[in-house]
Amino acid sequence: MSRILLTLAITFGIVFTLGLWIPLKAMVAQELLTLAWAESQARLQLGESAQPLIVLAGAHGESLAFGPGHVTGSAEPGMRGPVVIAGHRDTHFRGLETVDIDSTIRLQSRSGKWSDYRVTQLRVADSRQEAMNLATMPDNSLLLVTCYPFNSIDNQGPLRYLVEARKVEPSPARATAGPNRQGLADTGF
Amino acid sequence: MQSNALSREMTSRASETRCSGPARQSRWLAVVEGISLWLAVLLFFFLQSVVAEASEQEQRGQDSAGALHFIDQESGRKQPATLLQTDYKVEVGGLIANTRLVQSFENTSQQWQEGVYVFPLPAQASVYSLKMTAGERVIIGEIQTRDEARRQYEQAKSEGRQAAKVDQQRPNLFTTRLANIPPGETVSVELRYQQAVRYQSGEFELRLPTTLTPRYIPGVVMAEASAPVSWQGGWAAPTNEVPDADAISPLTVLPQDVAATSHRANVELQLNAGLPIGSVTSSSHGLTSTWDGNTVIVVPKTGAILMDRDLVVRWAPVRGQAPSAAVFHETWQGEDYLMTMLVPGLDNTDSLPRELVFVIDTSGSMAGESIRQARASLLRGLDTLSVDDRFNVIQFNSQTTSLYGDARPASIANLNQARRYVRGLGADGGTEMAGALDVALNGQAPEQGGYIRQVVFITDGAVGNEAALFRKIQDQLGDTRLFTVGIGSAPNMHLMGEAARFGRGTYTAISDLNAMEQPLDELFSKMQSPVLADIVTDWGADTGHDVLPRRPGDLFRGEPMIQIIRGRAPHGDVTVSGRLPDGSAWRQSLPLHEAASAKGLHRHWAREKINLLMDSSLSGHINEDDQNEVTRLALAHQLVTRYTSFIAVDKSPVRPTGMPVATDHVPTLLPAGSEHAMLRYPQTATPAALLMALGLIGLLPCIALMMLRRRVFE
Repeated sequence: MSRILLTLAITFGIVFTLGLWIPLKAMVAQELLTLAWAESQARLQLGESAQPLIVLAGAHGESLAFGPGHVTGSAEPGMRGPVVIAGHRDTHFRGLETVDIDSTIRLQSRSGKWSDYRVTQLRVADSRQEAMNLATMPDNSLLLVTCYPFNSIDNQGPLRYLVEARKVEPSPARATAGPNRQGLADTGF
Repeated sequence: MQSNALSREMTSRASETRCSGPARQSRWLAVVEGISLWLAVLLFFFLQSVVAEASEQEQRGQDSAGALHFIDQESGRKQPATLLQTDYKVEVGGLIANTRLVQSFENTSQQWQEGVYVFPLPAQASVYSLKMTAGERVIIGEIQTRDEARRQYEQAKSEGRQAAKVDQQRPNLFTTRLANIPPGETVSVELRYQQAVRYQSGEFELRLPTTLTPRYIPGVVMAEASAPVSWQGGWAAPTNEVPDADAISPLTVLPQDVAATSHRANVELQLNAGLPIGSVTSSSHGLTSTWDGNTVIVVPKTGAILMDRDLVVRWAPVRGQAPSAAVFHETWQGEDYLMTMLVPGLDNTDSLPRELVFVIDTSGSMAGESIRQARASLLRGLDTLSVDDRFNVIQFNSQTTSLYGDARPASIANLNQARRYVRGLGADGGTEMAGALDVALNGQAPEQGGYIRQVVFITDGAVGNEAALFRKIQDQLGDTRLFTVGIGSAPNMHLMGEAARFGRGTYTAISDLNAMEQPLDELFSKMQSPVLADIVTDWGADTGHDVLPRRPGDLFRGEPMIQIIRGRAPHGDVTVSGRLPDGSAWRQSLPLHEAASAKGLHRHWAREKINLLMDSSLSGHINEDDQNEVTRLALAHQLVTRYTSFIAVDKSPVRPTGMPVATDHVPTLLPAGSEHAMLRYPQTATPAALLMALGLIGLLPCIALMMLRRRVFE
């Protein structure tokens, strides 16, 4: 009897560990990636003080387990065109919950150059009803995608939380940097 | 494999059990232990496969960008949404084509649904009838003002009654809404519309659009962006330039994202031109044509066609019988309507030196087959230039850039440079057409040399701010002439036609890279040859009649002059006069008593009249008188316009109160050959929380039990 109990306990223990392993893997992977690649990867910083995250290629399960994924089909960071990056809401992109309008997101291209993006819009999309139309997004935009609601237990949910940001030109001109949300012009969303 | 191993294990254990007696109990325990261990291992593998399946689903979701599935609230199972079947039956009589379009919506879910479907119709289509069929019940729709139709529809929807509504969003873009489709049932909507058949260079052309290229929406989003905004269907938010963006941008998906039977159209055309038809061709689909006297029945070779491209059908009369004039007559509510067509038999080949400005759309919607067609068209256009001409190439996406600051002579070196430039063009970014129009229209031809300035605009027209562009053309045209070339499987023909009309040029459409020579050569030869200008028609002594269009535009080679008049009896003559390029006068008369009877002329007249009134809205806000006049005409002639909609409402409710109704936005298919610019949102949550919860739920009672036992044994 006690052995059955033990077996059951071990089984559920494994399940629990698997659950724990996912965020742990996500955390450790980022550290290891940082050690391994140093400066040659795209990176994303979700706030002034946040730890930069290494962005991996592709937004499929295998890459998202280790870091935010650059959505294939959108422009590479640093290239011309809209950039779309997806991440798991319960690991790397948990911090998106606290990102506000007008806060700054920093993105480093593979060449090592950092660009600042200013958040222009936060919204929730239903992935059953809409898709990302890159053709309607401005060239200097960055779209971060994660699941919504943040504390849901359902990992197949249809809702997505979208953070849209526009690149702040490094020139001192205040054309796009002002507090007005002019930066949102023609996002098409 | 594992189950095999398990059974082997079990049989070996069982054979061991048989042999000895005293150690039976401990053996039993060992067996149970073995089995439970194996079960644990199996459970582990099972969980592993669940996780693997989930990630596989993620990946599949990634590939099938934009699939429209909805998740059943109760079971959480994925199901395909509303299925769509359409059926076009077109009857062509004279210059007017009448179409009966049936759209069937099949609700395959367990829930009551509202279906919303944005669909294209031919440019300037006049929708004049609506019928809803739900099971045995047939409801005839009636025309109402748009607001009244919306009110009745919303009321019916909330009361659980079935209702259908058809609105016009653009002259070539309509929306069907169908409330309360019962689970598992099909409701169909039957529309009737008519359109004018295009006739030029001795060939008739009819275009049946089945899908639309996703429109680019310029402007600043109007929605307040401070808090997360929840979204209802459609991906575009209203902007200051396109306030109805959400109504004209349906979700666009690939054919494999819809059920295998959905988004298929049955088409049958009955051509009755009133004269022997020599040939029927199509650049878009393979056709089977059956002759029966002067009537030809045309169906696509493959049966039902996939709704991912326009169906283009051309037919020509038997050689030598191409009509150069025609008169049609109809009496409707005691009033006479006459439609005349006249092709001036001009074949002048004198050409003046030109300044030709090519404008090519290199926005994201052109990616794929479209940009190849556009580049090939432009290269062909460059070939038509002669040494005396000047030219420039302008490309636009989010920005406008041009090859030269000012037009340059078409020397061999310049042309070679232009060809290299054109071959290197890619497609990416937005469609900011206004800037390109500014650059193209504001350039000035040099005073000396008497250059004719012409702009060739090569685009798929995938923009939402058409009216603003027409206004721009109207304001800035000057002496320039604007010609449009529609590109892709589903170009916005409303934009092509109207831009050319405001630009005093002509339009053409290319749908296939292999069959582009003929339409392009026709266009470029038209542009080279002079036109008949200052056309005036004299309808005789009768006054008080209403001729449309009031002033016919200039005519290019092979083009007919078409006018429609209300309140003119079919007797006497109509005289058409104009000025030839060399300054001499041209004149021709048509006897009206030869008129053949036709149907639907009054609707064509009303549509032209409405267009005329709506043109004035380009200068800004349409005034109230015009708006009332449009509404009055639309109600009288039973037409769907910007201010009037068709609505069919059932009397008795079918949906029990308390049952929820979900809204399903039926997607349209991505035009064939376009690159998919829409990506599906990736799956962005891990099963970590679920696994941890599951583990804890199991683990806690186990630990509790173990501790309890330990205490008992102590």
